[in-house]
Amino acid sequence: MMAKRLPTILPDLSFKEALEITKIYSVAGELKKDSGIIMNRPFRNPHHSITASSIIGGGKIPKPGEISLAHLGVLFLDELPEFNKKILELLREPLEDKTVTISRLNCSLTYPCNFMFVASMNPCPCGYYGMIEKQCTCSELAIKNYLGKISGPLLDRIDIHIEVKPVKYENLNNKNPEETSEVIRKRVNNARKIQQKRYENLKVYSNAELMPKLIEKYCKLDDESKKILNVAFEKLGLSARAYTKVLKVARTIADLEGKTNIEKEHIIEAIGYRSLDKKYGEKF
Amino acid sequence: MAIKFAKELSQYGLNIISGMAVGVDSYVHEGVIEANGSTIAVLPSGLKNVYPKENKKLFEKIIASNGLIISEYEDYFSATSESFLERNRIVSGLSIGILVIEGAYRSGTSVTAKLTIENNKKVFCIPSSLKNPKGYTPNNLIRKGGILVTCAEDIIEEYAELDIIKRQETDYYVKEEIVGIKPEYQEIYEMIEDEPIDINEILKKTQMSLEQVNYQLMMLELDGYIISLPGKNYRRK
Ligand SMILES: [Zn+2]
Repeated sequence: MMAKRLPTILPDLSFKEALEITKIYSVAGELKKDSGIIMNRPFRNPHHSITASSIIGGGKIPKPGEISLAHLGVLFLDELPEFNKKILELLREPLEDKTVTISRLNCSLTYPCNFMFVASMNPCPCGYYGMIEKQCTCSELAIKNYLGKISGPLLDRIDIHIEVKPVKYENLNNKNPEETSEVIRKRVNNARKIQQKRYENLKVYSNAELMPKLIEKYCKLDDESKKILNVAFEKLGLSARAYTKVLKVARTIADLEGKTNIEKEHIIEAIGYRSLDKKYGEKF
Repeated sequence: MAIKFAKELSQYGLNIISGMAVGVDSYVHEGVIEANGSTIAVLPSGLKNVYPKENKKLFEKIIASNGLIISEYEDYFSATSESFLERNRIVSGLSIGILVIEGAYRSGTSVTAKLTIENNKKVFCIPSSLKNPKGYTPNNLIRKGGILVTCAEDIIEEYAELDIIKRQETDYYVKEEIVGIKPEYQEIYEMIEDEPIDINEILKKTQMSLEQVNYQLMMLELDGYIISLPGKNYRRK
C-alpha cells in the first residue's frame, strides 16, 4: 500500500523523460493502442517467482525487463527474501550503472534502467522478531538464513532502511493530520529544483549521483555534525559505503527543508535510516 | 609530488604500498605516516639485512605506525638486481592499481607497470616535462594508454564502485561522550528501563513529535546510554 503510493510523491516527469519511458514500453510491446505518450512514472511490482530474463531483460530478440520498464519510476519487490538469491544479485550492477546490457549471440542491446528500488521484508520467517507483544518462534539459524538471502553488498546499495510497526488501530485516528501527496510532491519538486540549480553544468542531476569529489564540496558538515557522524561510525559499525550514503541522504533531507547547509538534525536522521546495518548487520 | 599524493590517497583510507627504496619510495612511506595512514613496504632483501641501509630508520618508523614490511627472502639475504624486479612483482600483485611518478628509460618501474597491465589492473601516471629524463616512463605509459592523473581525486574516481571517500577530519580525538544527558533528554531517558520499551509507548507518554523523539533516541544511543533493538524497541545499556 505504502509503496504503491510512492509514485504520487515523485517529482514531475519532464517531456524528455516521458518520451524515454514511452519508447521502452513501445519496444517491449506493452504500449496499448491509442494510449499515446506515457505521462506517469511507472510502478512495477513483479512477483517473487519471476525469472532472471523477465526481470533483467532477455529473450531471443532481447526485450526490456522489469528493471527497464521501471525506468524513471519505481521497482517494488515485496517480500524480498522470497526472491531467488541469484536474481537479487543480478540487480546489483544495473543499480550501480543505471543501464543494463543484454548480450546474445548475434547482438547486444543496452536499455536504460534508472529506477528507484523499493523492497519490503519481514525481520524473520514468522514475522514477529523484535515484537514485545508477540513471541517470535524462529531459531537464530532460521533468521540468519532468511536475512542472509540479502547480501551485504545489495543492502549497501539501499539508501534508506525503515522499520515499520504493525499499525495498531488506536494510532489510526492520529492527532496530527496527515500530509496529502500533493503537499509532499510540492516539497519534492522544490528539492529537485534546488539540486538542479546547485549542480548546473556538472552533469549531475541529483544528490544520489554525487561523486566523491563533489560530496566533499557539497556535503560539508559543521564540527558538531562531523563529531556525531564519527561517533556513529565507531559505535554502530557502519560500512564505508554507508558513509557516503548517510552524507547524500542528509543533503537531501536538508534540501527538502530548503536549508542551505546540512545541520546536525539532518545527519542524525540520515544515520537513523541505516538501521538494518546496525541492528541486523552481522546477519547479512 | 610523491608526498602530496601519498598523503591524500591515504586520507581516502587507501593503504599505500611501495618498495622503501631511496627517493620516491621513501617519500611515499613518509607521506603516509605523516597523514596517519597505513603503508606496506616490500623489500628486495631479507628483513635483517634492510636495503637500502640508510632507510633503517624508515623501517622502524613504518613498524611503529602499525605498517607492514614484507620480504620473500631469508633474513640475511642481500638485494640483487633480480630481487628488485621480483620485489616489484609483489608490489604490483598486492595493489588494486599503481601510480607511476617517475622512471627513466628501461627502469624497474616500467616492468612493474607491465606486470600491472597484464593483471588487468589500472596504471596511473603523473605527466612529466620532456626535459626530465626520469619522466620517460610515465610519459611513455600515458602514450600507451596509461591514465593521466593530476590529483588524488582523479585516481579515486576510477574506483567509483568502491565508494571511497575522504574522512572529514575532526580537530580533536572523539571523546567517549558527546552530549551527556542534557536536561531536555531526561524525560525520554527516564522512560527507558532495563526491559525493552516500544517506540509507540514512548510516543504515547510524551508531547514530543515523532521526529523529536527519534532525534533524542539517536543522541542517547550514540552517547551509549541506551541500545536500540530490532522492531524499534529500546532499553538501557
Ligand atoms: Zn520469527
